[in-house]
Amino acid sequence: MEETQITPSLSVRSWSSISTQDQSSISTQDQSSTAGQASSTGPQPSKPSVIPPPVKSKGPSSGAGVRRMRRIIAEDAEWSVAIVPLLTELCIQHIVKNFQNNPILKQLPQSIRKKVLNHLSPDLPLAVTANLIEDENYWRRCCTQRWPVCHVDEHGGSWKRMFFELHLENLLKHFIPSTTDPEVILNLLPLCRNYVHTIRVDQFLPPVQLPPPLRGGDQSDSGSEGEMEEPATDHYQLGDLVAGLSHLEELDLVYGVKDCGMNFEWNLFLFTYRDCHSLAAAVKACHTLKIFRLTRSKVDDDKARILICSLLDHAALEELDLSHNLIGDRGARAAAKLLGHSRLRVLNLANNQVRAPGAQSLAHALAHNSDLVSLNLRLNCIEDEGGQALAHALQTNKCLTTLHLGGNELSEPTATLLSQVLSINTTLTSINLSCNRIGPDGGKQLLEGMSDNKTLLEFDLRLSDIAQESEYLIGQALCANREAARQRALSPSHFMSPATAKGPENPAG
Amino acid sequence: MNPPGSLGVLEEKEEEHLATPVLGPSIHSDNPQERIQARRLRIAARLEARRREALGEYLDGKESEEDQSKSYKQKEESRLKLAKLLLCGTELVTNIQVAADIREIHRRVEEEEIKRQRLEKLENEVKTSQDKFEEITMKWEEGKQKRIPQELWEMLNAQQVHCAGLIEDKNKLISELQQELKAKDDQYVKDLKKQSGDICLLLERMEEQVKNVMKTFRQELQHIEKAFEVEREELLTNNKKKWEQALQAHNAKELEYLMNRIKKVEDHEKQLNKQRIWDCEEYNTIKIKLEQDVQILEQQLQQMKATYQLNQEKLEYNFQVLKKRDEESTVIKSQQKRKINCLHDVLNNLRSKYNKQVKQFQEENQSLTSDYKRLVMQFKEMQKAMRHFALIDDKQFREIWLMNEEEVKDLISRAFDVDRIIHTHHLGLPWTAPDFWFLKNVGPISQQQQKSATQILEEVLMEAEEEGAEEAASEPESYLDLPKQVSAKTTRKILMLLCDESGFLVERKLLSLLLPLDKSECYLLKLDAIFSALGIESEDDLYKLVNFFLKYQAHHSPPSQINPWHLSPLQERTSLVSPLEKLDPQGEKEGSLVDREPQEKQPPPSPQLIHPNDVLKILEAFVTGLRKPRDFRAPVKLLKVVRDDSKDSAYWKALTTVIPATTLNLWDALYTALEKYHLVLTQRAELLIENSSLERQNTELQQLLQQYLDSKINSELQVPPTEVFRVPTK
Repeated sequence: MEETQITPSLSVRSWSSISTQDQSSISTQDQSSTAGQASSTGPQPSKPSVIPPPVKSKGPSSGAGVRRMRRIIAEDAEWSVAIVPLLTELCIQHIVKNFQNNPILKQLPQSIRKKVLNHLSPDLPLAVTANLIEDENYWRRCCTQRWPVCHVDEHGGSWKRMFFELHLENLLKHFIPSTTDPEVILNLLPLCRNYVHTIRVDQFLPPVQLPPPLRGGDQSDSGSEGEMEEPATDHYQLGDLVAGLSHLEELDLVYGVKDCGMNFEWNLFLFTYRDCHSLAAAVKACHTLKIFRLTRSKVDDDKARILICSLLDHAALEELDLSHNLIGDRGARAAAKLLGHSRLRVLNLANNQVRAPGAQSLAHALAHNSDLVSLNLRLNCIEDEGGQALAHALQTNKCLTTLHLGGNELSEPTATLLSQVLSINTTLTSINLSCNRIGPDGGKQLLEGMSDNKTLLEFDLRLSDIAQESEYLIGQALCANREAARQRALSPSHFMSPATAKGPENPAG
Repeated sequence: MNPPGSLGVLEEKEEEHLATPVLGPSIHSDNPQERIQARRLRIAARLEARRREALGEYLDGKESEEDQSKSYKQKEESRLKLAKLLLCGTELVTNIQVAADIREIHRRVEEEEIKRQRLEKLENEVKTSQDKFEEITMKWEEGKQKRIPQELWEMLNAQQVHCAGLIEDKNKLISELQQELKAKDDQYVKDLKKQSGDICLLLERMEEQVKNVMKTFRQELQHIEKAFEVEREELLTNNKKKWEQALQAHNAKELEYLMNRIKKVEDHEKQLNKQRIWDCEEYNTIKIKLEQDVQILEQQLQQMKATYQLNQEKLEYNFQVLKKRDEESTVIKSQQKRKINCLHDVLNNLRSKYNKQVKQFQEENQSLTSDYKRLVMQFKEMQKAMRHFALIDDKQFREIWLMNEEEVKDLISRAFDVDRIIHTHHLGLPWTAPDFWFLKNVGPISQQQQKSATQILEEVLMEAEEEGAEEAASEPESYLDLPKQVSAKTTRKILMLLCDESGFLVERKLLSLLLPLDKSECYLLKLDAIFSALGIESEDDLYKLVNFFLKYQAHHSPPSQINPWHLSPLQERTSLVSPLEKLDPQGEKEGSLVDREPQEKQPPPSPQLIHPNDVLKILEAFVTGLRKPRDFRAPVKLLKVVRDDSKDSAYWKALTTVIPATTLNLWDALYTALEKYHLVLTQRAELLIENSSLERQNTELQQLLQQYLDSKINSELQVPPTEVFRVPTK
């Protein structure tokens, strides 16, 4: 609306300025005609330079009457008022140019704001843009300019959030303690505190020790005298950052170094006690944290206990992932204790060193738990004792849906107990028993158990020495179950399952 | 990667199919109401789908599949196929991971075993080397004791050999371990290569899978689309067929209608022609008739014209006349106007006069009303005086009456005495005193005049008013004889209470009429109505009522309130209620009243002790009690209207005729007889007197004779006289 109001007056003004050069007055009729023309050609991209009136019109204007001259101007095909840029365009350009010094956005009307945002450069300092601009398009441009691959879905579908999360991640990845100024990150904190929900960092650089690399280039083999350097290999302390982020929900950390190449040293991958303590304190202080992942970081029992102790009775925590670490039975026991003292829904201890006692304590906690949905103990060594304990726990548990026991040296006794569980339990939907030595008899028993089960949808029994026939039959039963589950999800419980019906839309879209 | 996701995709696809026909409101609309509607529609659609499924589709799938047409079948088929594909693909991809896992496990197991062996070996080595070392150290001790350098040298050599052996062992071990390490390194490199190969394979497979899946998805999509297209074509052809059929039918019908219409049109045309001919004929006849009529009318017109001219002339003449009259009338009008003005003046005068007079009359009226009020006051006073005088008159009358009666009674008693004497003495008959009613009568014959309840009411109220006016002046000789034992005040209060509490007995009409009236009048009329409703008619009834109230209150009030005063009127009443008291002379009663007056004045007014709520109960009790004795009393009341003189004369006449006529006759006869008797007696008396005188003369003479005889002369005499005659016997 405003544009249409502005354009006629603008055109009139420019027109009159031109016509005064021609020493002629303009009748209203011509004004209106030219105005109409201007408004019709208004949206054309305006050029900054003002084109002088054509030469042709000058000749007759001197000799002929005013009227004729005007007619000639009107008929001049090359002449166009639209070439003159609109004042709004000029203003917008100015605003865009000086946005860094004088950010005006909120005061602008909606349509103009959009134009300004379209023209803003993605290189503007974050201090100006962070809290001022909400427009997703702008942030999208920022993201695509910096990173070639952008998965906005992994950041809640918000480009702005994605930008800040990736930016922060970048900074953290390349932060070198005691050389990089910590203010770099802390300065960003007030800008990004409202937008960062997730921190995913898969490398933490250790402090640079200039003398050892210089000298120790040759001595790299013997350079692993940890005791001396241990205090010096602490990584960035997340405490301040985590405390500053008010919406932090996910923390995904790997204490390690990527792409070290031939500079490999063991102490590059050290997760020190100080790191552990500071991380524990940070996690404890963050009340919004829902997902905590600490993988591939050489977390042993003691460190795991320190971390888990700080997570006891955490209000929001839902997922704990400590996979690919060195956690043994004591750490597993601590995790079992955590099950009783939090509302954990997902627990991942894959590829650790949990053995039968740890599994037994986990099973004991599981028997009385009503929150845990998924338990992953892949590539541990819980053996039959642990497996049996877990199976017993599943006879009373009513909420676990996913259980991964792949590669745990389980054998027939566990299978017998699990088959009993299968006939009773109605919540489990997915079990993974791959890479175990269940044997053909165990397979038969599992098949018996499956025949009574109507809820299990996935049952992975690959490479577990089961007779092909029983595996095939189990597969058939699973198919039937899946079909039934699909029918159930489609028809009877619509009132319960709008979420499940909607669920697939998001990944598909 | 995961089958549920792909299933979800399919579901979503189906959902889309389901959703497409609903082109109504969208869930993502900006309008909240539209969103709500969209959700509702969605829910309805789901419900519908569910119901359908519940009805049949789910139960007998075959039929439904046939019903569901090709597209549905195709959809199901491709869904199953795709699910299978996805499942297989994921399995294929994850197989690598699983294989790696199991390799890792095997490696771990082996590693453990090797580690254990190594440890064992190391421990053995440590033990043996320790033994050797100890041996060597033992020998050092031995060496210290050796004194011969030859031996010492030998021993040292041996020691050196031993140490070298020890070191060699250790070195061997170290080299072994290093070899192992090297092998492990090689193994590690191999593993790395293997793993990278695995990852490559994984990637390959994933890519392949993705491609595969995409391809199949596309294929299936095409299949489904094709199926839909086929189905649509079928539908189209079907519909086209139907449409054509319908069109043909429609055309046939149209044709039929057209034929019908043509036929009808022809019929109508025929009819129209007939009609037209008929109309023409009729038109001609009518035309002829009308022409004739026109001729007649023309003649008439001529006539009318003539008359018109005549009339015109007449009217002109009339017009002239009227003009003149008009002039006259204008003159008259002006005159009349003048007259009207005059009359207006007069009217105004009269009006002012009238106003004056109205004022005068108002003043007069006011003065008259004041006069009237005064007169009313006077009248009331007069009435009071009259009552007073009536009372006095009554008294006087009674006194006079009593006096006369006494006289009469005296006379009667004398008459009775006489009669009795006559009867007993004269007639020798037993006398019985005549027993007449009037003989026992004392005082005026008119019985105590029974006042009606209303009158008493009026009096009570009047008295109350008066008392209100002059409270101090207690009238000792209250002409009201009602409060024998109850003061007028008490009665009044009870009555007021009754009036207030039993308003329901009064008719509504009456109440509306009563509104403008005075308070006391209002009370009076209300009470009248209430009494008539209750059946209280006579004075006695009223007293009974009042007494009943008091009694009731006395019985039902708590004992603390029954003070001596409460009891005393009761006692008094019991003594006073006797009929004798009622007939007592006025004076005595007055006295008693006077005596009682101060007693009653002292205690507080009792009716306040009667709770208004009790009034109805009391009334109920009273009415039930009153019913029984009332019935036969009613006729008596009618006789006692005014004091009648008729009986007086009869009374007095009766008094005169105490002695009946027969006795009078008797008396008359007796009288005459007695008179005669008297006469005889008088004669006899005279005779007796004569007799006595004669006797006396006789005696005197005898005496004289005696004397003479006795006298000496006689003796002297020759012949005494005595001898001559005999002396009379005395």
